[in-house]
Amino acid sequence: MGAGVAAVIATEGLTKRYGDTLALDSLDLSVAQGEVYGYLGPNGSGKTTTIRLLLGLHRPSAGRAELFGLDSWRDAVLAHRRVAYVAGEPSLWPALTAAETLEFLARVRGGVDPVYREVLVERFALESSKKIRALSKGNRQKVALVAALSSRADLLILDEPTSGLDPLMEVAFRDSVLEAKERGQTVFLSSHILSEVEALCDRVGILRAGRLVDSGTLAQLRHLRAQVIDVTFAGAPPSLEPLSGVTVAPNGHNTLRFEVTGAVEGLLAALGRHRIVTLRSREPSLEEIFLHHYDGSSGDVHAPG
Amino acid sequence: MRPARALAARAVRDARVRTISFAYLFAAYSYIQPVGYRHAYPTRASRLGFATSFGENRALRLFYGEPHDLLSVSGYSAWRVGGTLAIATAVFGLLAAVRAMRAEEDSGRMELVLAGALPRRSAYLAALAAIGAGAVILWIAELAGFVLGGLPLGGSAYLALATVSVVPVCAGVGALACQFAPSRRVALELGGAAVALLFAARVIADTASGFGWLRWATPLGWAEELRPFADPRPLVLALPAVASAALLFAAGRIAARRDIGTGLLPARESARPRLALLGSPTAQALRGQRASLIVWTAGAGAFALILGVISNSISSAGISKSLQRELAKLGAGSIATPAGYIAFVFIFFVLAASLLGCAQVSAARHEEADGQLETLLALPVDRRRWLSGRLGIAAGAAVAVSLSAGMLAWAGAASQGVHLSAARMLEAGANCLPAALLFLGVAALAYALVPRAGAALAYGLVAAAFLWQLVGSLLGAPRWLVDLTPFANVAAVPAQHFRAPAAAIMVAIGALAAAAALEAFRRRDTVGA
Repeated sequence: MGAGVAAVIATEGLTKRYGDTLALDSLDLSVAQGEVYGYLGPNGSGKTTTIRLLLGLHRPSAGRAELFGLDSWRDAVLAHRRVAYVAGEPSLWPALTAAETLEFLARVRGGVDPVYREVLVERFALESSKKIRALSKGNRQKVALVAALSSRADLLILDEPTSGLDPLMEVAFRDSVLEAKERGQTVFLSSHILSEVEALCDRVGILRAGRLVDSGTLAQLRHLRAQVIDVTFAGAPPSLEPLSGVTVAPNGHNTLRFEVTGAVEGLLAALGRHRIVTLRSREPSLEEIFLHHYDGSSGDVHAPG
Repeated sequence: MRPARALAARAVRDARVRTISFAYLFAAYSYIQPVGYRHAYPTRASRLGFATSFGENRALRLFYGEPHDLLSVSGYSAWRVGGTLAIATAVFGLLAAVRAMRAEEDSGRMELVLAGALPRRSAYLAALAAIGAGAVILWIAELAGFVLGGLPLGGSAYLALATVSVVPVCAGVGALACQFAPSRRVALELGGAAVALLFAARVIADTASGFGWLRWATPLGWAEELRPFADPRPLVLALPAVASAALLFAAGRIAARRDIGTGLLPARESARPRLALLGSPTAQALRGQRASLIVWTAGAGAFALILGVISNSISSAGISKSLQRELAKLGAGSIATPAGYIAFVFIFFVLAASLLGCAQVSAARHEEADGQLETLLALPVDRRRWLSGRLGIAAGAAVAVSLSAGMLAWAGAASQGVHLSAARMLEAGANCLPAALLFLGVAALAYALVPRAGAALAYGLVAAAFLWQLVGSLLGAPRWLVDLTPFANVAAVPAQHFRAPAAAIMVAIGALAAAAALEAFRRRDTVGA
């Protein structure tokens, strides 16, 4: 992030150990006002740990985290006036109804947009009179989402918020995040659902085993990564000489999938000597970017989430 | 039936903390009583004196039941241990049944189990096997205590069997409650109410004239009627056997038919919004704890009322000065007057108010373990304010329990023409608070420092301190060692005057511990289940 722009989230060398396990290793992160930041990583890579540190629920072993320039641990109460949070598995009070829960959370927060809350209750088809204990996981998540979104907080921290939602509700969720973005709210979205991040986020950080291994805009990450080229041959696929920067794998009948990092000239020259029926080239999906970071050496990815 | 065996082993493991705690209690209590009696009443004359006065005291039968032989070590032990531990086994049976049969279901784990190849009947039998294993462990612990305490093996085995015979019956009550209740909590409430009724029936049978027949209506009475060491009647064992078989069979039949996760009673799944007590985390906690606090207050109040009513059966006639000194060793003080008796039994309200503090700290811990605390702390909620709110609720509840106990004991006594001063009885209630506040502060500190084990540690500390007060002097421990327990520093109000310095010290310790708890809690990470 450029200097001078007030960061909504800023961390510096943020580190957390649980006993012998290094859950988060020297994280430097900066999210500017109005950004939708996608925070990607497999289970156990440290996404939830990061969020717990940002919210001052856990205390950093080293380094610091700030929200709106306020220390996440020391000034947690002050910072939380401007933050709304939805946990991956929201813990609410089983004996309260959905409506009572919304009211309780709004009163404790001290500020809510009641009109927008009604819009959200409609949009997410919330059954307000049901007790939390009678709701499924997805429906509890909807309650927590409505509570957070209707607060109009400056920063929304969402930890895998759609993991229990059906496809219709995912659409409602995406609409709501885009509305939040239009209003200038900042969104920190932890996820392992790539299409969601692709659809919503301006920038992405990729976390693996407690380390931020990559970050940037989607365009930047694509630029760094491979092109995917599917080639279908007229007969059985030939065996090609190994080329630097090219990986190859069978992909169906008479078809090979090439992943190319950098220039494609070498591959095209090699393919020119064979009879080709179709050739399709495309940008990699975020899923493939993601896999690129975690393939092969994923055996050591086991830090607690 | 390998899976069933694995399930039973799992249930035994789940219950290990409770089983081991009860086993320790049983072994210690049944060891201490014969040893203490031999120490305090070495001669036949002293035992005769004890039997004709203290032992015939109807008020004491509330806890211990009807005595049959107070001149021998074994007869005394049967009276003193059998009655009290039978109450503990009733609670154990209920808790074990609800844990094994309902908690698994509420957590969703039972769905996982039944989705495998295990038939329902096997799952039910596995739960029963786990409860049975717990009962056997208690029986062995009690037997070991008696034998180490010098009682003969055969009689001890029979006495321990009489005590433990209550487990299957109350487990049957719990099992049936699990079939009716829509959730674990409601099952505990239903079962708890039933066990309280069974206890009340025994209390009335043992203390009120002309109601002796009521003993035959309750498993706690059957345990008495087995008359260990006095006039053994093993045929009475048929009653708990038949009753538990019938209850467990009925519960098993229902369990095989009902939908998992539901009960025969419908659950209320929706409600019109009620917006009272939603203004702050503390208000909402009070809302959640309201029902439980009302039960505590009402239960303690009802008990105090009964104590007040029966306090008129106390008289000091025929008790010699030397015997009174001996009685003092039992922690009874000047028990031979109504005021003395009330002062003596009010130590149980000190215990109740202290346990209530532990229960409230445990409820706070549950809110953390279940993750609701994180939901709150992600809002503009200060950690110290949250915890001090919970401690405030606990302290307020202790005040309500203590003062209502004082007032209702006064009312009960007044109804029988026993004149105690209302102000003094209010004082007797308030006198419960310093020790309770001390334990509340210590429980909070334990929770802040070791969140997962804190509540259990606090319960254990209260139980240990209480037992030490009961038996420390009986075992001839030096005065300063006995006085280490807060219970020994509670004045016997209304028989004695309120001890302001001791009370001030206890409150100060509690306040310091609570302050340290708030600071420690502010500094630590939240800790999940």
